[in-house]
Parts: sequence; structure tokens; C-alpha cells
Amino acid sequence: MQSRQQLVDIFSTFVQFEADDFKRWIADARLRRSMGKCLQDGDRGTSDSFWALYWHKAWAEQRHPLATAHITAYLQEVCYWVARKMSLNLNMRQSRADLFQTAIAQTDTVLKRFNPQLSSNLKSYAEFAFGNIIKDTLRKNQEADICTDWALLHKASQKRLVDALTNTGMEESLLATYVLAWKCYKELYSGTEVRNTRKLVKPEPATWQAIARLYNTERLSQLPAGSATASPELLEQWMVTAAKAIRAFLYPNPVSIDQPLNSEDSASLGDRLPGAGEDSLLTELLIQEETDQRQTQMQQVSDVLSSAIAQLDGDTQYLLASYYSENLTQQQIAQALNIQQYTVSRRLSSTRKALLKHLAQWSQTTLHIPMTPAVLSSMSTIIDEWLSAHYRTTESSSG
Amino acid sequence: MMSHNAASSHLLSLEQVLLEIPESAYAQPSHPYSTSGATRRAYLNQMTLDTILPWLRAEQDQPVHLARQSATWPSIWEFVNGTVLTVGDRRLVLVPSEAIDGDELRVAQEWVDIPAWVADYYVAVYVNPDAGYVQIQGYTTHHHLKQQGTYDAGDRAYTLDTADLTPDLNVLWVAQELGLAENPRATVAPLPTLAIAQAHNLIERLGTPDLVFPRQAIPFAQWAALLTHDGWRKRLYEQRQGMVEQWSLPQWLRAGISGMAAEFGWVKPQLQLATGLGTRSTEVLVCRTLEIQGQPYTLKIGPSPDSTSATPIWRFELAPVDPAQMMPVGLKLRLLTEDLQGFEHNEDAAIAPVASLYVDVVAAPGEGIVWAVEPTPAGYEPEVLRF
Repeated sequence: MQSRQQLVDIFSTFVQFEADDFKRWIADARLRRSMGKCLQDGDRGTSDSFWALYWHKAWAEQRHPLATAHITAYLQEVCYWVARKMSLNLNMRQSRADLFQTAIAQTDTVLKRFNPQLSSNLKSYAEFAFGNIIKDTLRKNQEADICTDWALLHKASQKRLVDALTNTGMEESLLATYVLAWKCYKELYSGTEVRNTRKLVKPEPATWQAIARLYNTERLSQLPAGSATASPELLEQWMVTAAKAIRAFLYPNPVSIDQPLNSEDSASLGDRLPGAGEDSLLTELLIQEETDQRQTQMQQVSDVLSSAIAQLDGDTQYLLASYYSENLTQQQIAQALNIQQYTVSRRLSSTRKALLKHLAQWSQTTLHIPMTPAVLSSMSTIIDEWLSAHYRTTESSSG
Repeated sequence: MMSHNAASSHLLSLEQVLLEIPESAYAQPSHPYSTSGATRRAYLNQMTLDTILPWLRAEQDQPVHLARQSATWPSIWEFVNGTVLTVGDRRLVLVPSEAIDGDELRVAQEWVDIPAWVADYYVAVYVNPDAGYVQIQGYTTHHHLKQQGTYDAGDRAYTLDTADLTPDLNVLWVAQELGLAENPRATVAPLPTLAIAQAHNLIERLGTPDLVFPRQAIPFAQWAALLTHDGWRKRLYEQRQGMVEQWSLPQWLRAGISGMAAEFGWVKPQLQLATGLGTRSTEVLVCRTLEIQGQPYTLKIGPSPDSTSATPIWRFELAPVDPAQMMPVGLKLRLLTEDLQGFEHNEDAAIAPVASLYVDVVAAPGEGIVWAVEPTPAGYEPEVLRF
């Protein structure tokens, strides 16, 4: 993969895959114009981290799709390398391009969790976050694959059920009947297995009758007047439809890779942030100053965490290095240290807690940052970001 | 089992801690429930509790307790999902879910709007019984859930997207350790009081297992008022399982202490009677042990010396388990009506060290009496004893 050099490219081009490999960078015309204009307007920053912060700020204050699009372009490379590494490591049936799509589609989640208050390194946080998103998605898919449809109905949240059905184009009134039917199904048919819950079989006719009776009673109070009665057969049909929708919705729809933004989105974007947003949002000087300040702060944070880690025992240091460099799975770490997989998780958690407390206390006394649970929460994210950057091998930059 | 385990759990991220479900948690629920869904709910909650409680106790410097006696859970899980425990002076509701997607935290309104049930924090827990682990997905505060959560009227629940939770439970502990001031609770409206007859009617009406969703069959305020009363909630649970009245004293005397009452510690003393000191001529028919400020006491019920067959008078007596001990000054024994109201001569207080406290009461057949002690005994829940 050729890495992009020009600022305009970095914030306006997208990866195009051929088969499962990087083919080329393709530009989005609107983003290119938008970025071009930004760069022309006077004496602005010249580093990509400056512009990453700029767009993050625009995103945070306006949730403008243009900002999301620029950052999505910016994070293409890092997402590509994460997807590549994961597909090599995990040996999954999903292709590299699939993993890439899965992760890049979650850019909003990454932005939501990233807090630039104490850090300027969106890229290294994204690297960590994309890795987790991919792992998480693969885990969910694997789990769903093992489940029968009847079990899957028990293993979806109501939100997911509603989203999945909405995704099939179902209208709201019908949706309500499905949700009620699903609740009746879950309450009356749970199976008796305590451990082997993934293999739940289809209910017996008598159970369907009971579910139908319950549905037909409850619809009188829980659904709008005029809802029709449902037969056991119809309820069964509904549940099959619901399970299929949930299953389909677990897998992200393959987005056309050649078209990073669909035309509708792109047309609605415009070339500039709307209204006075831009001016009030950013005077270049301020952002540049903030960037510098953050760089200093980041260095300090880095020193604090480095010295805290240096004081940990050897096993714990190994644990952190293994996990955050992403080269080892939990099981491999557990084997190497001759401990249980769950012990790895618990120990990492308590180590992260110690680092969090350490950093929080330091920030209170040194930076005089007023500490709140919200600030603590973003510090917890910063620690992840920092650890993943700290233990980063040169693998991705040399690939 | 191991193969499933290996296949899926190595993919988990570690921001959220992963805990192994102990083998002992795989037992079937020991109490009956009215639907298979409720049985599953009980099972998942018990499993969550059996996994998370030992972990919290190992990791936390502060004391970690169940906020309820274990015998109470069935009468909660029959109706709602969730388990409450205390860590230090904070209450946490654990909300287990089997949802693979982990898209939302869904908390039954009871945990949010019943004043006595409100917690400071709500923790989303993913349970995977097949692979043998639970994973904490994040937490939120009562305040946040009530202000930012979406109320789902169809389910009487508050929901919050998982993305809006604080993913790292460490944030909660560190905030506590650093003493960061934050009031996690929003205000909740007080509940109406139910008249005894009204409560009995509701228990009768909602007590049939044919009514699968009793919590949505009546207005929430009424339902909440019924549910928050431990004695009434237990009776409702029992009725739905087709159990006979479990808290009838005459019944205990005829047929022995009921199964439910025994779980809460009621026993029939066998031989203690003969060892009674000369001054104590009261016959003890049933008793249970209470822990008050770390000390063990016995609460005994028997006929008062003034009792006649025409007018039976019952005596509730509270004394230290160790007869050499005295009742500390300030301790109070109090009797209340079934709807928790006081009445004349319903209290005995230790104004000087005494051997025991007692209150005599004349109860009509079928009348319910609730005992209470101040300071509140460990794990105290009002029980409606029927005479």
C-alpha cells in the first residue's frame, strides 16, 4: 500500500480493494474540494494531526457528515492495517475487505469514544478501537452462527430486533405486533437446558398454542385497537421471519467499496460546514495552540504512564505488551504465563485500574484538571490509546 | 464445552472484564416460577450473581453484600430482571442479558422508580452460559438512565444504548477511591399507599399464573406499591406458584413451619422450653435469629401469660441469644399492621438494660401483623405473619 503524502489526499481519498488487496486510492471530489478550500484559506496547520483535530472538533460540535467523511478518509490507512493484521492473525472466513468495511463503518463509535481533551492522537486510538470492533463483530457472528433460529430469538436485544425488522422495511404498526409476539415467545418458551442454550429446538404445537393465546390476550391491552388475532401458525411464521432478520442484520451489508460515499450523502454534504460554524469553531491559531499544548501534555502523560508501567512486575508488563501489541490472543497470553484465560482478563482489568488511578491523581495535582467521572472515563480511553501506541510494533508502518 | 469456549472468547476485548461462571452456578433454580421465561430469568440472575459477587469481593477493599436475603430473590425474579448488591455504601443493580448484540441496557422500571429499589449504578452484564463466561459491558447512573434513557411504555423499562454507557467499570471504583463528588441519583416520586383490602384484591387478581405479565396488568404506581411491600410481594409470588399461605402462625403450629418461612429462618424450638429461666414462663412456639448491630438475638412468638382461650393474646419477644447478655439501651421492638401502620401499645423500648423486650397483641383470626426492630436487623424485610 502506498501511503498518502498530501494533506488533501489524506482527508479525501478512500481505499479501493481488488479481490482482497489494496488496489488504489480513489478520491471523493467533494471532499477534495472541501479540503482544498480549507488549505487555501490562509495560514493554517500543515500536519495531519492538526487537521484530524480540526475535523474531530467539527464533528463533536456539529455532527456534520462532512466532518465524519473527512475523518473516515483520514482513518482509511490505519483501518486497512488493522484489518490486514487481524485477517492474518485470526484466520477467519471473513475477507480482509469485509473486516475493513466492518470497522470503518463504526467510525462514528470511534469518534464518540475518543476524547481530545488530553490527547491528540486520534490515529493510535482508532487503531486500538478498530481492532476491538473487529474482534467484537467476529465474536458476535461466531456466536450467532452456532445458534439455532429459536435460540437466536433469545439472544437478541429488543433494540436489535426492532432495528433488524426496520431494516427489512417493516412498517411501525406491524413492528409492534412482532415485538409483542416475540415477548410472548420468550416468556413461554425458554427451553429447560441450563448450559446448552444455543441448540434450542422449535417449540411443540402445544407451546405455539399457548403463545398464541397469550398474544391474543395481550394484544388487547398492549396493541392499538383493531389489531387482529393471530393463529399459532402465524406466530411461528413471524418468529421465523424475526430470527432471519436478526441473523441477516448481524452481518454488515457489503457497502460498495468503490463508492465511499453514496451519491445521496455526497450531494447533501456541500463543500463547506454550514453557517457561521466554521468561524466560531476555529480560529486556526487557537487550534494550532491547542495542538501544541496537547502535544506537551501528551508527552507528560506518556512519561507518567511509562514510569508507572516500569514499576509493574514482569508478568504484568508482559501481559500488557502481549495484549496491546495485539500479536497474541488471550489464550496465547494465558498459555505463555501458565495462567487461566480468565486470570488474564482480571489481571489486565486491575492493572488498568491502577494506571487509571495513578494518571487521575497526577492530573489532579499537576494539571489541576477538575476530576469528574466523565473525565475519568475519557482517561480510561486515553490509557488504552496510549498503551496501544506504546506497545506498537513497527509492523504496520513497514507493511 | 471447551471448543466453544476456545472458539469465541479469545476474540473478546479486555476493556470489559471477562469472568468465568463457576460450575456451581449451573444448577437449576431451586424455586418454582410461573413461566419458563421467569425460570430462565432467575437462572441468569443467579448465575450473574454467583460469578460477579466473588470477583467483586476479591477486587474490592470495601465490603460487598447482597442487598437482599437470598430467599427473597424468587419473589423478585418472578416479575423482573435484575439483582441488587451493595459495594460500600453504593447500590448496584446487575442487569444480565443474553443478547449477543449487546446493543442496549434495558432496566425494568421497578429498579428505577420504586424508591426502596432505586440503585446508584446499573451495570449491563452479558451472560453466555454455553461458553461459560459473563462480561461486564458498562454501567450508568440512576440519574443518567432516568434523564437520558428512553422509556419504553410497552415494556415498562428504561433503555439506554450501550454506546452511551461508561464501558470501564474501573471508572466507578477509581471515582469512589478519589472521592469524586457526584450524586448518581435522580429524584423519584413517592408511591401511593395501598389499603389492606386493596392489596388483597390485587394479590388475588394477579395471583393467577394464567396472567403471564402481571406487572403490566395494572397501573405502575399501584403495581409498584404492591411490589415494594416485601410481605405482599412474597404472597403474590407464592400464590402464583399455587402455594398455600406460607406465613400463617396457626398453620405453622398445626403442620410445621412452611418452606418459605423456614428459608427466612423461622424454626420451632424443641427443647429450649425446659431450660427457660424461672422468670420466663412464656411458652415459645416459633422463633428466628436476628443479627442486630453484629449481635445475635432471638425473636420468639408464643401465647402471652394473659392469653385465654376466649381471647388469645400473642407475645412477640426479643432477647439476646446469650441469656447472660442484656438488651442494649435504645433497642426497640415494634409491631405494625399489615400495611405497616402503628397502633396503640405496639412498641417496647429498652430505656435501661433489660433481659428482653416484648409486645403483646390481640390479633383477629386471619389478621396480619408485621414485626420491626430498631436498629434494623441485617437483611430485614417486613413479613406479614397471619394469625
